[in-house]
Amino acid sequence: MSLVSSLETSAPWIILIGGVLFSFQIILLLWLKKKFREREMSLLRAEEGKQNLEKALLQGQKLQAIGTLAGGIAHDFNNVLYAISGYTEMAREDTPKDSMTYQNLGKVLEGCQRGKELIARILTFSRRQHHDFEPIALKSTIESALGLLRPTIPASVTIDFIADANDCVILGNQTQLHQVIVNMINNAVDAMDGEGKITLKLSATPPFCKIEMSDTGHGMDQTTMERMYEPFFTTKEVGKGTGLGLSTVHAIVSEHKGEISVNSQLGRGTTFTILLPQEGVPNNG
Amino acid sequence: MAKILLVEDDELVRDMLAQVLKRAKHEVQTASNGDEATELLKTSKPEIMVTDIIMPQKSGITLISEVKNKHPDMEIIAISGGGRLDPTGYLDLSESLGASVSFEKPIDNQALLMAIDLLAHSKEKN
Repeated sequence: MSLVSSLETSAPWIILIGGVLFSFQIILLLWLKKKFREREMSLLRAEEGKQNLEKALLQGQKLQAIGTLAGGIAHDFNNVLYAISGYTEMAREDTPKDSMTYQNLGKVLEGCQRGKELIARILTFSRRQHHDFEPIALKSTIESALGLLRPTIPASVTIDFIADANDCVILGNQTQLHQVIVNMINNAVDAMDGEGKITLKLSATPPFCKIEMSDTGHGMDQTTMERMYEPFFTTKEVGKGTGLGLSTVHAIVSEHKGEISVNSQLGRGTTFTILLPQEGVPNNG
Repeated sequence: MAKILLVEDDELVRDMLAQVLKRAKHEVQTASNGDEATELLKTSKPEIMVTDIIMPQKSGITLISEVKNKHPDMEIIAISGGGRLDPTGYLDLSESLGASVSFEKPIDNQALLMAIDLLAHSKEKN
């Protein structure tokens, strides 16, 4: 076969393959360009997101600062208002009811009432904005709650507190956590009729901090366990319990994004387990 | 008439409340913080203690916890202006530690006097 005729036969193939390769190149280029733009856009979006987050964070911090400031002012202002209204009421009592002074002192009290409503509004704002959640080391928090409680607990009740060597840190509110420990221990003391042993264990089981509290009390039956978190449900004698202890505990644990569970048998005591999210440990579950 | 210990760090509120209580014929002793109250309680035995919560040195919460241990029969009324932290949280905690009643400032003084009368009467019956 001559060169010319073989070229004639393979030319369409060469053109076809060349065309396909060229098209591929074009497609590849277009694809690369698209990918490049997408990447550019996502970088831009990430940067924009970061800026928005920073803005929101700053705004949040500002609101939190305003909340704290307002809360502090409101506290002092409540004292001032309380003193003014208290003195005014006494002065009014000593004044004849048909006198102008009596009426004017009434106006002072009206002013106090308006001030009181204003403070209540500021406090609502400060509470809404300022959640008072901060990193809390649970070991020292439990120790200080026990320190508060020990003087009020009968000598016939022993409390053992066992904590892991490493402290467990959560994001929370110290006063609320004190409330949880105080309410639970008070319940346990009542369940043991003032005599027995309470064991508190604190351990880190990432992503949670675990607080376990066992008592050697009379335990709970199924009905009590089902209803124990209900507000105003109590098994205590009239006048001895409000029925709000465990419902408060439940509400506080939920506010801290935690969980509470119970294991109890009549005559064998009760164990409560509280899990609270550890600070800085992401929960993927 | 009851013997009352009033613990309050704000001078104006302390003086006003002391007057209100005296006018209602109660016998009143005052302390400006928890430490002063503890000292007073070494020599005096009031039936009722009215205490503020947020105070310098010894706070009302610590004071309530101590008093419930040393004087279990003493009735305690907690009062708080709140705001710095959650005031309701403090008052709840003070009740869990043994305060019989708690009030958020500014308080309706008539309600406070009624609470004092009720507590004093229930003590008389016992």
